[in-house]
Amino acid sequence: MVAMTQLRVGERAKIVDLSRVSDLVKRRLLDMGVTEGAEICLKCTMPLGGPFMIENCGQCVGIRRHEAMNIQVKPL
Amino acid sequence: MMHVALVGNPNTGKTSLFNQLTGTYEYVGNWSGVTVEKKVGVLRSKKAKMIDLPGVYSLHPISRDERVVTQFLLTESFDEILNIVDASQLERNLLLTVQLLEFGKPLAIALNMVDVAERRGIFIDQTKLAEALRVPVVPVVARTGKGCDQVERMLLEKVTERTEPLTIVYGETMERAIDRFIATWGTEESFPVRWLAIQFYEGNSYVRDYVAEKLPEATWRSLYEQAEKEVKQAEQMSLAQFIYEKRRSFVKQVIEQVVQRTEIGRVTLTDRIDVVVTNKYVGIPLFLLAMYVLFQLTFDWLGAPLSDLLDAFFAGPLTDSVTAMLEAIGASEFIRALVVDGIIAGVGGVLVFVPQIFILFFFISFLEDSGYMARVALVMDRLMESVGLNGKAFIPLIIGFGCNVPGVMAARTIEQPRERLMTMLLTPLMSCSARLPVYALFVGAFFAAHQAIIVLFLYVLGVSLALILAKLFSLTILKEEASVFVVELPPYRMPQWQALWRSTWDKGKGFVKKAGTFIFGGSVAIWLLSYVGPHGINVNMDDSFLAMIGGVLAPLLAPLGFGTWQAGAALLTGFLAKEVVVSTMNIIYHVPDVESLQGLMASHFTALSAFSFMVFVLLYVPCLATVATIYKETGSRKWTMFSIGYALVLAYIVSFVIYQGGSLLGF
Repeated sequence: MVAMTQLRVGERAKIVDLSRVSDLVKRRLLDMGVTEGAEICLKCTMPLGGPFMIENCGQCVGIRRHEAMNIQVKPL
Repeated sequence: MMHVALVGNPNTGKTSLFNQLTGTYEYVGNWSGVTVEKKVGVLRSKKAKMIDLPGVYSLHPISRDERVVTQFLLTESFDEILNIVDASQLERNLLLTVQLLEFGKPLAIALNMVDVAERRGIFIDQTKLAEALRVPVVPVVARTGKGCDQVERMLLEKVTERTEPLTIVYGETMERAIDRFIATWGTEESFPVRWLAIQFYEGNSYVRDYVAEKLPEATWRSLYEQAEKEVKQAEQMSLAQFIYEKRRSFVKQVIEQVVQRTEIGRVTLTDRIDVVVTNKYVGIPLFLLAMYVLFQLTFDWLGAPLSDLLDAFFAGPLTDSVTAMLEAIGASEFIRALVVDGIIAGVGGVLVFVPQIFILFFFISFLEDSGYMARVALVMDRLMESVGLNGKAFIPLIIGFGCNVPGVMAARTIEQPRERLMTMLLTPLMSCSARLPVYALFVGAFFAAHQAIIVLFLYVLGVSLALILAKLFSLTILKEEASVFVVELPPYRMPQWQALWRSTWDKGKGFVKKAGTFIFGGSVAIWLLSYVGPHGINVNMDDSFLAMIGGVLAPLLAPLGFGTWQAGAALLTGFLAKEVVVSTMNIIYHVPDVESLQGLMASHFTALSAFSFMVFVLLYVPCLATVATIYKETGSRKWTMFSIGYALVLAYIVSFVIYQGGSLLGF
């Protein structure tokens, strides 16, 4: 189990733990179907500590790096 | 007449479907309590009205506009719900659908993007879906209008049918809590109290306010806390999470029955575009290039020739024919001067910018509809985060380059109140197209050799000051909440012409209206003030009321380098709209064309004071329309006054530094 920030671009992983993500962000992620157990793929990262773009079931979501750091995933 | 509410997730084609189903629509004010426009359309058959609600993921609201949907369900009377569902994201969409079904109103599903789903290998059995949820399901293609006739027929037939609310069983602990709530609530409602109980326990903030109005605080708090404790004990989950999970497992069961998946490992077009557009290294330069092309198209390649044509028309044929007509009907010199020197000069001076404004809005609509704007938010987030904002705030700033009014309105998409307010306050620092004629006048007169550089500097100055102030505000007066950023990046789509035209017109029509109303009135007023003085009419302009009013401001402006009554009067009238600064100077200096105006100005300004004046015009105060919009959007007199106040102070300081500093350095 690693933080999402450990993933390489293009790598797929399963979300294991979202409990350390801030409430508002977690709510939005749940709304978009990004929950514990969901399979995601890291599509790209922005430079200089910028946001991450992840894909889940064909939809893409952008989140900040420090939130991604709090998401625990299991690489597939 | 029957009322149908249109509800769905964001980015599901809701606006397209609304446009296809309704022939005409109108904005009927705002939803109470929030500044989200209430949009109501009439179905093509004219037999029912459709209410467009903001796109939401869940009834449990986060941002202000999301509260509207729950508020609507609880307080407005309507007959049916049309729920638009994105077939390619069925699970997420059905999470909203089941909450609507629990509410118990007659509901129909318009299933959109079936083609997108099939390309991803998702095949939905629509008959089974209709059976599982016990509601009618109609496949539609919202972009082209396919299936819309059937939706309309279904909406009109269905209303007599009685529907039972959907009941999801939330497990023993939760059911006991729901029963306790219903028993405490007592009174009958026009909607299921069970729905109210579930939303209350889930933490829906609007429902909580609603409950708190009828029940004493101690009662509803103990209801909530008891349920929270019991669920925590039995399920090791928070109440909201538990309800979400139960709902999700219900949706999963439905999906298992109705969806067939085949594995298609295809790379979509969106994937291929995103590899470039959101590339680590290319993303930002590509965005800057896109902006460059947008501005070149708007102001140079396409907009300027059209504006010139219009300008030539106003100055030539229109003025001539109006003058001839007035002469023919024997109008007095006063009327002639009022119409030609006042109205045509003033209103015409603004209308010549209509082509540029519409072109800019067209491209902005194109960027929005195509899905690129969300990528801009992603690409720019890092920069915006460093000043206490988020990437979504960049979009209103871009729109602000066209006109600050839609820029301020575009801040609605920002979830957090603090960031939204800050974006609204800072958008007026973006150099809108109305300020361009002022620059054009001055750089032509004083900086003929360095026009482009000077104008570019003013744009960059506006953006830089906005970012610096954002940092300053978030460190001082607006520091309560942390910045939040989650953005959905919808697949790219080729925008439809009709939709583009509609949204361009929606954004741009205000500008035309402005020219016809208060710029018209303002021009008349300025002209009259310059024509009349304490000693009679048709006075020498230096003895007019305008000179007197401008003269009051002159000493204040002297330290900035332009302490003349003409500058004072122009700035004062520029509050109406920035382009009026030019109209006023046209009227004041009484010259036939721009060239002689520029010659004349050399005797009133130096290069340094002209530069200081341009900076002042860039910053000094949002125009009247922007101030009115800020007031409407913030609903706060205090923040509206603040937006004027800080701009004045900022403009004075920056111009003072430029002029005094420049003088010391010997410019």
